[in-house]
Amino acid sequence: MEGLVPASGAFDADKFEDEHVHGVYDAIARHFSHTRYKPWPRVASFLQSLEDGALVADVGCGNGKYLQVNPKVLMMGSDRSRGLVECCQGMGHDVCLADNLMLPYRSDSFDAAISIAVIHHLSTEERRAAAVREILRILKRGGQALIYNWAMEQQGRRKGFTQQDNFIPWQLQDKFAGGTGQLVMVYNRYYHLFVEGESEKLMELAGGNEIVDSFYDHENWCVVIRKL
Amino acid sequence: MILLTHNMLASPMKEASKQLHLKIECEEKVEKEQEYNADFLNRMIERIDWNSFCAAAQSLDVGNGLPESKEQVDSSNEEQMKKIHHALMEVDVVKGSLVCTETGRKFPIAAGIPNMLLNQDEL
Repeated sequence: MEGLVPASGAFDADKFEDEHVHGVYDAIARHFSHTRYKPWPRVASFLQSLEDGALVADVGCGNGKYLQVNPKVLMMGSDRSRGLVECCQGMGHDVCLADNLMLPYRSDSFDAAISIAVIHHLSTEERRAAAVREILRILKRGGQALIYNWAMEQQGRRKGFTQQDNFIPWQLQDKFAGGTGQLVMVYNRYYHLFVEGESEKLMELAGGNEIVDSFYDHENWCVVIRKL
Repeated sequence: MILLTHNMLASPMKEASKQLHLKIECEEKVEKEQEYNADFLNRMIERIDWNSFCAAAQSLDVGNGLPESKEQVDSSNEEQMKKIHHALMEVDVVKGSLVCTETGRKFPIAAGIPNMLLNQDEL
């Protein structure tokens, strides 16, 4: 997988991400959703620490597992994958189909935002910084965002990565795609794995924020930032 | 899409100001019961843009009996509060469009989900 994302030269990031991220999530949405039901405690506690009535964006909300963690705040969920937003809708959440790089929200209006395992699907550093800037755009001054990205250094089931840009296979059981349950199809999702210190560097590149906290959780490098 | 959600949305077009609300063109709406929570409703009333909410509610024919301004909201008047609750949370636009008033771009709503994605040539 050498040179998955070229360091320079012609590269159509939109097309690449359409094929290797959005298209894959649409195909695996039902099965993926089935495996993602348990909120991570540190994300849940961030949401529970917010004031009652706070307006919170869940940018890349996936199947919506964080949308009901704190019923006293107003969660606005969006995702780039139609398959995943349909999972949220099925659970009674009001969500929309939107791109992290062009969020359909008013500027300076949110009290908080979460971005859980989303920005690592963007294929260039400039796009990852632009995704952070777009989250900052919708936050009020002083508003905080919690951002998780998969770590290169992870020691769990998928340990041993040797490069940052990777295709990670998803084994889709065909019973989730209307099949008989006999077949398994493999879909490769693109990930840019973060190394220690990279989140902080990315926040600096994005600008307009200060880091409130940074930590490692569930094989992700995580930061909490505050809009300046 | 309920009107509480609509109140937070803005056009993602790069030419747009990211402040104005989108115009709703409703082709189909459904009413769905939501639990009435006075505390949550009061907090939502505090934060929404009232004029935009009223205009959107009028366009969906659920604006009757809504106070004309936020100052006229009387949280001890349960009948009035239930009307606000109904218009804000219980009317779901399942089919139609959201129109960017600055560029004319229409964003379709299907199965209750607004599609706010841009085309390649709009990026």
